[in-house]
Amino acid sequence: MSKEVSEEGKTHHGKDYVDPPPAPLLDMGELKSWSFYRALIAEFIATLLFLYVTVATVIGHKKQTGPCDGVGLLGIAWAFGGMIFVLVYCTAGISGGHINPAVTFGLFLARKVSLVRALGYMIAQCLGAICGVGFVKAFMKTPYNTLGGGANTVADGYSKGTALGAEIIGTFVLVYTVFSATDPKRSARDSHIPVLAPLPIGFAVFMVHLATIPITGTGINPARSFGAAVIYNNEKAWDDQWIFWVGPFLGALAAAAYHQYILRASAIKALGSFRSNATN
Amino acid sequence: MTKDELTEEESLSGKDYLDPPPVKTFEVRELKKWSFYRAVIAEFIATLLFLYVTVLTVIGFKSQTDINAGGGACASVGLLGISWAFGGMIFILVYCTAGISGGHINPAVTFGLFLASKVSLVRAVSYMVAQCLGATCGVGLVKVFQSTYYNRYGGGANMLSDGYNVGVGVGAEIIGTFVLVYTVFSATDPKRNARDSHIPVLAPLPIGFSVFMVHLATIPITGTGINPARSFGAAVIYNNQKAWDDQWIFWVGPFVGAAIAAFYHQFVLRAGAMKAYGSVRSQLHELHA
Repeated sequence: MSKEVSEEGKTHHGKDYVDPPPAPLLDMGELKSWSFYRALIAEFIATLLFLYVTVATVIGHKKQTGPCDGVGLLGIAWAFGGMIFVLVYCTAGISGGHINPAVTFGLFLARKVSLVRALGYMIAQCLGAICGVGFVKAFMKTPYNTLGGGANTVADGYSKGTALGAEIIGTFVLVYTVFSATDPKRSARDSHIPVLAPLPIGFAVFMVHLATIPITGTGINPARSFGAAVIYNNEKAWDDQWIFWVGPFLGALAAAAYHQYILRASAIKALGSFRSNATN
Repeated sequence: MTKDELTEEESLSGKDYLDPPPVKTFEVRELKKWSFYRAVIAEFIATLLFLYVTVLTVIGFKSQTDINAGGGACASVGLLGISWAFGGMIFILVYCTAGISGGHINPAVTFGLFLASKVSLVRAVSYMVAQCLGATCGVGLVKVFQSTYYNRYGGGANMLSDGYNVGVGVGAEIIGTFVLVYTVFSATDPKRNARDSHIPVLAPLPIGFSVFMVHLATIPITGTGINPARSFGAAVIYNNQKAWDDQWIFWVGPFVGAAIAAFYHQFVLRAGAMKAYGSVRSQLHELHA
């Protein structure tokens, strides 16, 4: 887009992108819009499909009778990362393609979604996760019950602190990638082709799974951990459940702070707005 | 595309994309056009290549991991490699044929798009026939190349695995095909293309990935059909009783999954019905926006 045709507002501060205004904290008007409920439905369906494919892959792998009979841990990591790529791609234009309460929380902290929408999304995601794992249990009940139900628990030999740290850093990687992929400044430099955003997000999930499957089976998605815990209903899964909410939410918070206050320097810019405008 | 270039119709609606009009169900004029036959040929060749590469990968995997025949448990590409073969091949072939035939390579995808009025009945039926013929020829090539291995190792046919009942098989095929067709709808949505700056070339990647994902999840259950032509082609060449007994699962499941995906996309995500009902209100809203 050439400078000549850019809007007057844009030429004023010399940027070829516009940061959207912060989302209102309490926007009850959303409740009257069909697009809000469509977004909830999209998040529900996406999380359902995500859990169905990924947990079915996990159970299918664990069911193997000999070495290399299953898809392997690499295949499991691909299932998680690839499925996030596909589903974020499909729902990005409808709901923003969160599919993860931690992502929703991070975007809420960055004022990109309202409180009502954030809560609505999280509930839809948790319900979708429960239904998705429910499908897996219905389809392969015996192996599901005997092979751990795809639930996230702290593996033997690792302390809860280690697991918490792994979840924090893992979710930081994911949410930080989400922020980078959806940054309007970045979109401008990618010539506004948002289709490229889902791929690094999916790869971020893939990478983190490669790293932390041995530690916790990799949560970094509270809905995923919650859905599996509900359907599997095992004491250890519930005992460790708090790790898969506190860790991801702390990681999302850290990513939001890092992106908003360091990379985009909102606070500093506010203080020195006059000088920064001159240089821009 | 700048605002100035918008057509009058587009500028009136305030959108930067234009939904194509529904295709007539009984459109027969395309039978006189070369582009129609070129599309059918493209679907045939694409499905032939798809089955050749994927079934050859499956037979290779089974022969190399056959302990009794001197193979090693980890001597081949593994189930992950097989999943990549299916997903990667769909990515490549959709990329190659998207501009010619729409890159369906799958009767379930064709059926879903037909339900959404994006292809005519004549074209849909022709595509399905071409896909089934292509699949049969593709698997035929595999058999010709290694007849002994092919017959010994199950012919790459889709069958319900031991320990799973028919309901589970159908359910897995329904959900698996829903994922695929839903991704196809999202990738080809004109509203989506507008936001992607009209670069449809990027669509094949998520479609290939969705096939890859579903294979990872359901290979243990049915060997993963989600493509009636794929299941049909293997059944024809392998010609085994159980493959034919279970064949209906690989048509009913995918077609039901495609129908659900078409419904979900057209009536929930794009709100076709509600849009028609509230067209006046939405137009006023758009003018105001």
